[in-house]
Amino acid sequence: MSAVTHEAAVRRGRRRQRQRRLTVVRGVVAGVMTLLFMGPILWMISTAFKVGNQAFSATPTIFFAPTFDNFRSVFVKSQFGSALATSIFTATSSTILALLLGAGIAYPLARRRVRGQQHLAFWILSLRIVPPIVVIIPLFLMLRNVGLTGSVWSLVVIYTYMNLPLTVWLLRGFFADLPVEIEEASFVDGASRLRSFFGITLPLALPGVVATALLAFIFAWNEFLFANILTGANTRTAPVGLTEYVTPVSVEWTNIMAAGTLVVLPVWIGALAAQRYLVRGLTLGAVK
Amino acid sequence: MAVSTPPRPAAAGPTRFLKRRAGRRRQWPFLLPMLPGLLFLGAMAVYPTVYSLVISFFRWNLNNPLGKQYGGFHNYDILLKDPAFWHSVGVTLRYVVASVVLELGLGLGLALLFFRSFPGDKLLRALLILPMVVAPVVVGLLWRYMLSVQFGVVNWLIGALGFGRVDFLGSPSWALPTLILIDVWQWTPFMFLIMLAALQGIPEDILEAARVDGAKPARIFFDHMLPLLRYPIAVAVALRLIDAFRVYDLIFMTTRGGPIDKTETLSWQIYDAGFKSFDIGYAAAFSWLMLILVVVLTTVFLRLMLRREDLA
Repeated sequence: MSAVTHEAAVRRGRRRQRQRRLTVVRGVVAGVMTLLFMGPILWMISTAFKVGNQAFSATPTIFFAPTFDNFRSVFVKSQFGSALATSIFTATSSTILALLLGAGIAYPLARRRVRGQQHLAFWILSLRIVPPIVVIIPLFLMLRNVGLTGSVWSLVVIYTYMNLPLTVWLLRGFFADLPVEIEEASFVDGASRLRSFFGITLPLALPGVVATALLAFIFAWNEFLFANILTGANTRTAPVGLTEYVTPVSVEWTNIMAAGTLVVLPVWIGALAAQRYLVRGLTLGAVK
Repeated sequence: MAVSTPPRPAAAGPTRFLKRRAGRRRQWPFLLPMLPGLLFLGAMAVYPTVYSLVISFFRWNLNNPLGKQYGGFHNYDILLKDPAFWHSVGVTLRYVVASVVLELGLGLGLALLFFRSFPGDKLLRALLILPMVVAPVVVGLLWRYMLSVQFGVVNWLIGALGFGRVDFLGSPSWALPTLILIDVWQWTPFMFLIMLAALQGIPEDILEAARVDGAKPARIFFDHMLPLLRYPIAVAVALRLIDAFRVYDLIFMTTRGGPIDKTETLSWQIYDAGFKSFDIGYAAAFSWLMLILVVVLTTVFLRLMLRREDLA
């Protein structure tokens, strides 16, 4: 009897040991993989602090005294500062618009059974399938007719449209997650629909709304195709501004890496802040 | 609503009917907030799509002083007989299929690695997902820099391993595979994140029961995990499929369709036709063929993967 339990204890001990070893192996492999995926980004950031001959040597420079010259030249010698400002403006205002219009559609979809609402929701989702290049010519002609090409507003309009399916689907999910009873309790207290939405539903759904906003901002911030075609010399966004360092004569790599770092940084902070909702956001609520 | 209205005896026939109609009318102010958004979507989605369909039947080059001329199926006829069109369909399909398959495999592998916790897993996971939020323009430039034949760190690395230097983006045989690998670098984290969330959603007792029955890890994965991952895999692959199809920024920043025509994807060719040759009717027909291709492929894929109960 005691021999059997002893044997079982030994077996359990071995299993635990094996598991501990497995955990170490998993951690090491995961670390290596992370380094592989992070490597290029670290390389970009480090190059942003290098001078020309460190960036262009045949053997890579890993240890060096960092310089801020590239960042200085990005802001002083080129228009990149204003491109960043344009990006901040277009991404922010289109995000706000998409949230407002999206919430207007999402809330009734989440709260009322209306005939055909499932069809409506899927129609909105299906807009996400259309490749931007397909609609760019008609949109270009349309915006040219109303005199919006070359203006930042054309981008605000397009990014709002681009992000609406995302905001509708995400917000619908976040609103539907809230128990109806809380809102109903506020009706008993005599609140109107509108007041109960802004006073109760919205604050309770706030983390989800903020995550939705961050994702919409990221997509607008990174967009290039429309920005490249629709903006003029004074209304370039940051991704378009980057292309200016690439000329047929030369490519200003160190400046590109500095400017690229500036483009990536805010989006990273946003992504890390929204991490908990990232899966839900990227699958438009299909996977929670 | 049940709370706000005190219980009333059920009204008889006609009054009940009236009440229901009143209820339907009361919905309208509630649906009002949808109006601005729906009108905006309608204007931005329906009009351009229909307009592009209409002009696809015209011969219309912005450089041509004659302007628009009805051409029937002329543009479609040219396209479907043009080997360059079929070439770009082939390039795009190879790009999409190869990158999505690799991303799914790698992402699933990584998710299994992170499935059981280990010290520092939260930090590594947060770092691992960052490539996917980098603007594709930055991704293109960054890799162009790293892959440079003269000073690229990648060529230095493979040189250190004893191989010769490769002009990754400039060689006809390497260009497309290189773009695929860049896509895999950027989007594997996306698959990883979704697969990890899906794995963590599997009820622990299912896996525990299989383990007690003495199932080997590989058996547990194929028999107990994979079937439960069908839906998340379908969603993630469909989304990646849709996005990989539109690849443009990356190509703009790296190969610009070259060398020769090795990386001319559908998006790139449509852009060329519309904004370099200003052949608007032709570009519109091209876009419609692309749209049909994307919609058909996505629908067929989802039909194969999803069951009726998934859509509820």
